[in-house]
Amino acid sequence: MHIVVCIKQIIDPEVPFHLFRIDPVTKTQMRGSHPLVISSYDEVALEVAIQAKEKFGGQVTVVTLGSNEALQALHQALAMGADTAVLLCDPMFEHVDSFGKARILAAALRKIGDFDLVLCGRQAGDIEMGLVGPFLAEELGIPCVTLVANVIAAEGGKIHLKRPIETGYEVIQAPLPCLATITNDESNVPRYASVKRLRAAMRAPIPKWSAIDLGLEPAIIGEARIQIEEMWVPKREIHCEFISGESPEEKARNLALRLKELKLI
Amino acid sequence: MSILACCVATKLSIPRSTLELLSAARSLSQQLGQISVQALLIGFEVKEHASNLIRYGADEVLLAEHPRLEHPEDEVVLGLVEEVVRRFTPKVVLFPHDELSGGHVAPRLAHRIKAGIVTDCTGFEVKDGDIRWLRPVYGGKAMAFFRAKGAVQIATIRSRAFEPLPEEPFRKGEVRELDIAIEAFVPSAAIVERVETIEAEKGPSLDRAEIIVGGGRGMGSAEGFKVLYELAELLKAAVGGSRPAADMGWVPHSRLIGQTGKIVAPKLYIAVGISGASQHMVGASSSKTIVAINKDPDAPIFKLAHIGVVGEWEKIIPPLIQILKETI
Repeated sequence: MHIVVCIKQIIDPEVPFHLFRIDPVTKTQMRGSHPLVISSYDEVALEVAIQAKEKFGGQVTVVTLGSNEALQALHQALAMGADTAVLLCDPMFEHVDSFGKARILAAALRKIGDFDLVLCGRQAGDIEMGLVGPFLAEELGIPCVTLVANVIAAEGGKIHLKRPIETGYEVIQAPLPCLATITNDESNVPRYASVKRLRAAMRAPIPKWSAIDLGLEPAIIGEARIQIEEMWVPKREIHCEFISGESPEEKARNLALRLKELKLI
Repeated sequence: MSILACCVATKLSIPRSTLELLSAARSLSQQLGQISVQALLIGFEVKEHASNLIRYGADEVLLAEHPRLEHPEDEVVLGLVEEVVRRFTPKVVLFPHDELSGGHVAPRLAHRIKAGIVTDCTGFEVKDGDIRWLRPVYGGKAMAFFRAKGAVQIATIRSRAFEPLPEEPFRKGEVRELDIAIEAFVPSAAIVERVETIEAEKGPSLDRAEIIVGGGRGMGSAEGFKVLYELAELLKAAVGGSRPAADMGWVPHSRLIGQTGKIVAPKLYIAVGISGASQHMVGASSSKTIVAINKDPDAPIFKLAHIGVVGEWEKIIPPLIQILKETI
């Protein structure tokens, strides 16, 4: 089984509130000196792909759309256990919306050709729209199963996917090729990439595909239909009222009293 | 021209998200100049809810009833909504931002009908006749207005972002039964099995609870969470956890609160042993009152909480339980 995982590199979402800034011109987060990471659900999708490869055999290809900086995310993906990586990089790819991204990724998948399963995180950890996965399935004209946590079985051109629900999980059968968007559960906590494997991954050649390589022109990518008009950081003015007390018991009592006073319990 | 609000209901009940969606649709209709609100009611044996939808804000109910819609597959709902949109050509299509609609149906519909789309909206405004969709970005650290371009605009609405309108007992509207061949929508992916692994939980769910008790890395073990369950039972609260707590298996992932879990908005959120990482706080910061219990006085959570208690939970929660037992 050939699994292709689409990942996005984002600014570490754990940047604390007080260091978070918006660039008023680009209407995106200021890059600053914050670290870059693989978007959380995409990292989970990688883990799911690697587990599936370990269970059912095959290979994992990882694809990302970004600048040269995104090579770092691909190195990490290779160190985690992906077999090959591709960077989709072209000035034409900047400032495209989710529709455009799906079209570029679809062109890359067609160039890869022999894929069976495409995995995308359920949503990116920055803008969190959750559109690229379902759009990509539509672009490729393949079935789309959303919010999947793992691959349970794969044989005879069919796949069984685990989708968590409130009371347990559903098993969904889909024909291959298909696309799944990935959510997290206890079975897919991403593995760490060891330093040794990271070093090895840094030496792996990573091809870069441009718009020309993919046969893409601006007219094919299309105009953006989703636009950010304005972005701002809301003011947070919460004053924390600390509960006093000589002992923990007294604090507990005062807390209970205060919550009752406020009619919260 | 209309606003189409898509609702999936069961015979037993209309979800709260449907009433919130109608409230959002009414508000948008008012801002756009009183265009009509159509509710698409999807389910099996749900006809009796139609009049309810009218009393809560719909001008017309389009009824899609079929046994296959009792537990509808994503692709069946997608096919159905696509057909309804082609027939009725609404200007705006609204969905609740849930697993079915936000995660699957709305995006694929947008792609198919070449609509603009903004997901997980918490509000909107109309400026010079154009809708600007409001939603949090960067895990709630920032807010943004989006424009969706296309002949049709699709938006999914975050739960709890709108309050249901008060019921208007005498509100009038039409109910139209749709004649759409549901059998024609054959899903390529099918649910072949449902496995129940989590026992039906006592007490309220995270979505409905008025009070939530959340635990984090500071709880130290699954054993630690037992104390939180005890506290929650007393308060008729639900228990949730942060990402580290869920990843370590102290709480099931279905109870994860945060950017990679549930977004909750209870009246009272009691955060125990939670440092206040933004990944978690995104999911909890809409709570009306946040109480933080943490041994580290410099924990970021105290910058986001309304009430703080500095101390070890091991020494605070047990006496708190005792006091509550005596006084509730």
